[in-house]
Amino acid sequence: MNKIFNSVDLIAEIQWVIAIILIILVFATVLFWLWNKLSPSKLVDEMQLRTRSWWVMCFIFLFASLINPVVTYIALGFLSFLTLREIYSLLNLREMDRSVLFFCYLCIPIQYFLAYKGYYTLFLIFIPVFMFIIIPFLLVLAGETKDIIKSMCILPTSLMLGVFGISHLALLISYPEMNTNGVSGKALLLFLIFITEANDIMQFVWGKIFGKHKILPNVSPNKTWEGFIGGVISTTIIGYFMGFLTPLTPVQLILISSSIAILGFMGDSILSAVKRDFGVKDMSNAIPGHGGVLDRVDSLSTTASPFFHIIYFIIIMS
Amino acid sequence: MKKIILIIIYTFFWRNFLRIFIGLKYFNNKSLKNIKQFILVANHNSHMDTMAIMSAIPSRFIHRVHPIAARDFFGHNLIQKFLMRYLVNATLIRRDREDPNRDPINDMNKMLQKQRSLILFPEGSRGIPGIMSNFKTGLGYLVQKNPSIDVIPVYLDDVYKTLPKGKKLILPYNCSITFGKPIDFKSYEMEDILETAEKEILKLKNRN
Repeated sequence: MNKIFNSVDLIAEIQWVIAIILIILVFATVLFWLWNKLSPSKLVDEMQLRTRSWWVMCFIFLFASLINPVVTYIALGFLSFLTLREIYSLLNLREMDRSVLFFCYLCIPIQYFLAYKGYYTLFLIFIPVFMFIIIPFLLVLAGETKDIIKSMCILPTSLMLGVFGISHLALLISYPEMNTNGVSGKALLLFLIFITEANDIMQFVWGKIFGKHKILPNVSPNKTWEGFIGGVISTTIIGYFMGFLTPLTPVQLILISSSIAILGFMGDSILSAVKRDFGVKDMSNAIPGHGGVLDRVDSLSTTASPFFHIIYFIIIMS
Repeated sequence: MKKIILIIIYTFFWRNFLRIFIGLKYFNNKSLKNIKQFILVANHNSHMDTMAIMSAIPSRFIHRVHPIAARDFFGHNLIQKFLMRYLVNATLIRRDREDPNRDPINDMNKMLQKQRSLILFPEGSRGIPGIMSNFKTGLGYLVQKNPSIDVIPVYLDDVYKTLPKGKKLILPYNCSITFGKPIDFKSYEMEDILETAEKEILKLKNRN
């Protein structure tokens, strides 16, 4: 047990974030509890359910990300696994794709092992280069060409959505250059996840309160211009004040926070369109109030890798 | 001894494996706790079905629950018979009815009289994926002879996708198993029994 907790070093900034997260959770819980007492409605019930799920998710996440890097890798790998499983459960794949699905699942341990070892180049090209060649070929070996193009496109793309993006979170804490000169990978990880999830919440809140003009009428009725703009502005402000977690200058912070907000919106819309095509509202019912796991991490899968590369570029430059 | 082996295999291994890795969700399996003896009837598309049901049964009386399996499929050699007997807790019955003295219905009836519970797949075989075929009459005879024993419908949703017929690789899929309330048979005519059982199982399908 000692061995696990030995590597816990909570720098002051991370302690601040934990305190902020707890305050927000307590505030939201009390707010919705009072609201429910004064005027009960369906919306408040759902919000209470969501808050309860946030408690669970925050504790799992804080536990997994702060105890030990190995625990973090296993937890993130399991998150990727849950995401892939959700996608493949909804897809109506052909029967001969089953053996290839096994190799898709096998990508998860390989990708996270590469992140753990810090093999930067191999990590980057493993899925977008190797798997995009190997998986179509494995499908060819399965021997049936009818509808093969559908599987050839879907399977590598599902890896990009479920494994490639999320595994950049793991690379943040293992990559050596991210952990020197007063930069902490853990703090950057916290910053990214905090901003991305805050963006999700802010877009939801602004959309619910002021939403009138639909931004993507064919994809999702819940996405509005008011929610989008309000979300981007408030996320930028939050990012500016959370800047103590990062080595960035104020201008860089504003640029990065606003681009995270826009990228998060993109990820959200991509998944909304996919869900619309499947004809479902949520990917599954894994998290009460939120829907599936992918419904929660959709925006992370698009923000994680751009964030990593921007930070990498800034650190290399300075 | 047998009970301990079964508890280790099903309550510890299969239940956690199915829940965490495969993504199986259990609905209402707590309701089994208060029923002493029962016949579980379920739809059948995969060998995984038996594992899913066995893993949901409370460990207190897991050694008294016997899945019914076909001897011509699972009893080819001694090793297979041994495994079926001790690791699956299965009762092997003859489907061919070659020997008129050993009617499979009688075998099952004897088990019920010994206070054992049965897991029955009334479709008889795994059939076409995702489609429920007509029920065999064996269930009807058992219910007619033992009207006091609870018949509990079970619906397995998408469990067959984890291990379809003819495949060897187990893959994760989100799936679910739902237990219903004991069936209340209005009449004990053969056709009515089979029809009611089928309807109750399909009712669980639409509930989720």
